[in-house]
Amino acid sequence: MMQKSMKRWDLFPYLLLSPAMLVTILVIFYPIVRTFTYSFMQYILWKPKEIRFIGFGNYLKALEDPVFWISFQNTLIWIVGVISLQLLLGFGTALLLNQKFFWRGIARSLVLIPWVTPSVITALMWRWMYDGNRGIINDLLVRAGILSSYFPWLANDKTALYAIILALMWQGFPFFAIMILAGLQAIPETLYEAAEVDGASTWQKFTRITLPMLVPVLFTSLMLRIIWVANSLDIIYIMTGGGPGYATHTLPVYSYIRAYKGMDFGYASTIAVVLTLLITLFVAMYVRKILRMEDRGTV
Amino acid sequence: MKRWMIVLFLGLVLPGLIFSGGAREQKAEAKTVRFWYHFDNPETSVKPLIEKFERENPGIKIQAEMVAWDAYFQKLMTSIAGGNPPDVSQIKLWWQPQLVEMKALAPLDDYIAKWPGRTDVYEKIWELTRHTDGKQYLMPLQMVILYLYYRADMFKELGLKVPTTREEFLDVAKKLTRDTNGDGQIDVYGFGIRGGRGGHDYWATFVLSSGAEIITREGKSGLTTPEAIAANQWYIDLYRVHKVSPPTTPTDGFNEVIANMKSGKTAMTIHHLGSAKGMVEVLGDKISAAPVPRGTKGAWTSFGDEENGILAASKVKDEAFKWCAFLATAENNALWQKSSGQISINKSNGQTKEAQENRFMKASVESTPFAGVLPAHPKVAEFVESVWPATMQRAFLGQITSEQMMKIFEEHFFGKK
Repeated sequence: MMQKSMKRWDLFPYLLLSPAMLVTILVIFYPIVRTFTYSFMQYILWKPKEIRFIGFGNYLKALEDPVFWISFQNTLIWIVGVISLQLLLGFGTALLLNQKFFWRGIARSLVLIPWVTPSVITALMWRWMYDGNRGIINDLLVRAGILSSYFPWLANDKTALYAIILALMWQGFPFFAIMILAGLQAIPETLYEAAEVDGASTWQKFTRITLPMLVPVLFTSLMLRIIWVANSLDIIYIMTGGGPGYATHTLPVYSYIRAYKGMDFGYASTIAVVLTLLITLFVAMYVRKILRMEDRGTV
Repeated sequence: MKRWMIVLFLGLVLPGLIFSGGAREQKAEAKTVRFWYHFDNPETSVKPLIEKFERENPGIKIQAEMVAWDAYFQKLMTSIAGGNPPDVSQIKLWWQPQLVEMKALAPLDDYIAKWPGRTDVYEKIWELTRHTDGKQYLMPLQMVILYLYYRADMFKELGLKVPTTREEFLDVAKKLTRDTNGDGQIDVYGFGIRGGRGGHDYWATFVLSSGAEIITREGKSGLTTPEAIAANQWYIDLYRVHKVSPPTTPTDGFNEVIANMKSGKTAMTIHHLGSAKGMVEVLGDKISAAPVPRGTKGAWTSFGDEENGILAASKVKDEAFKWCAFLATAENNALWQKSSGQISINKSNGQTKEAQENRFMKASVESTPFAGVLPAHPKVAEFVESVWPATMQRAFLGQITSEQMMKIFEEHFFGKK
């Protein structure tokens, strides 16, 4: 009797959780499972008769597909470029915003503007700013004498990707700034006071107190940001559509183009799965490294 | 007491029964046709036409949804795959092969045979829109024919004649490309090329008229003959060698090409009636139009079409056809074109005085004899959407040669050899 009632009680939390679980299964797990299944199929939307299981066919195709490798390489440049620039600018902004000045409150709100602007607007705005015929960036550079004539930033295969990286840096740095600022404010003032008593220089205070104390914040925000940036599609797609040629094809862009322009959902799913595995692998390695550092007490 | 109960029964229950029955009957009668459409100008509305139709056809409701053009095709395809497509959808001819392959469209031959309005639609449109299996899946709705826009004032200033051949065109384009204020920078480019998505029409105008064919009559590739490769090279050279189009050419899309024309950055470009109103608003008499120049083998321009298709999954096909037929009838079609800015498909609308006097309409009509469409092949959709833009851009950037470019196209249509 006692056991029975215990059992009933054990089930109760699951019963309470079940609505949330059900929604998660439906909107998260189901699409993931479907994507994995599609990646092993020939699934071209307009050839319903030829939809069939082809094992690793799509994966082998990706290995031989030059556009896949171009997109892969661009994805790495994209992640490293965007994240490092956002982090640097975000860090600098956070240090500035942590200083005391009379309009600090307003400055802290203003810095959020790029982050709260919808991606579509950001992308269109930057596209016109970069425009090779009447863009303001060209206008300023020519007036300042840096350029002799307007340059087609987004139509040139050597500059297009970097031009978009700069646009995304602008959009995403407030996230780092705000996260790091929160971290900075959590560092007890007493640590700095003690360091001063010991005769530490500003640089020493920064490297020995500020940086180590910020590691947990940096760790979380870097990981989140890497995942978001690796997945981002909207800004690239609106600014260049993946072009010129394949110059701004990243894996999400390529996957999107295969799915919605070629209607090839099988191959598009394969690209998406490869990207997912890559990010998962990277995050797993990253977490392990951080945990080890914590164990060793380096952090 | 009894009488009181009878009165109560009659007074309260009976009307309820009568009205509920009536309501049920009415509900069964009113059928809803879901309709997807798009206009280049999002401010225009299809509402007056719907109201007119619903007045003339009591019992049919039109539930119209304007779908953004950039996502139209993918939205339509996914709605079909998901089992919830609209009843009627605006359809581009190059989508037809894929849609037929998916068995997503209902054949309309029986309906059309009984429709008295069919003789008022241009015969050429019926011809162009009939599928290769001999069936008619599409109801004509609107058409445009691409022509050459040119800056009449600049032509006059330089004493140039409107080009009729591609050699004359290149010559004129070179002369129009110039530094107008003496600062050593090019201010005006002769020709605005659309290198981004949608630019295949520009490419086809010059390449398909000079010896290249996507699919020959024998069903083979006509893309890699020496003539075809040379024609393609000529087109690439406009940008790379002669530099008669702006440096932004590889990624210029519709908005950029039109904006360059309006701002005077370019002196010629190709488009259709849809942009004429906007051009005249900005440039007035300075803008004019003419048929596109001939290539080495004759002339080719793009017949831009749009039809209505009834989806095979629709449960209200009769009503859906009534709506398609309504829109393809002269009076209503003329109203539709006021919103779309395009040309009516009805013979009786083509004879109006306005058509004779309007210089853009005149250029369209003069181009009719050589207006063509891309072949009815299921891979044309992907060619237009992604293969052509990416490959053309690579050729413009010098990453691939003309021959490599044409081989990529050939592989797309015919597979690897």
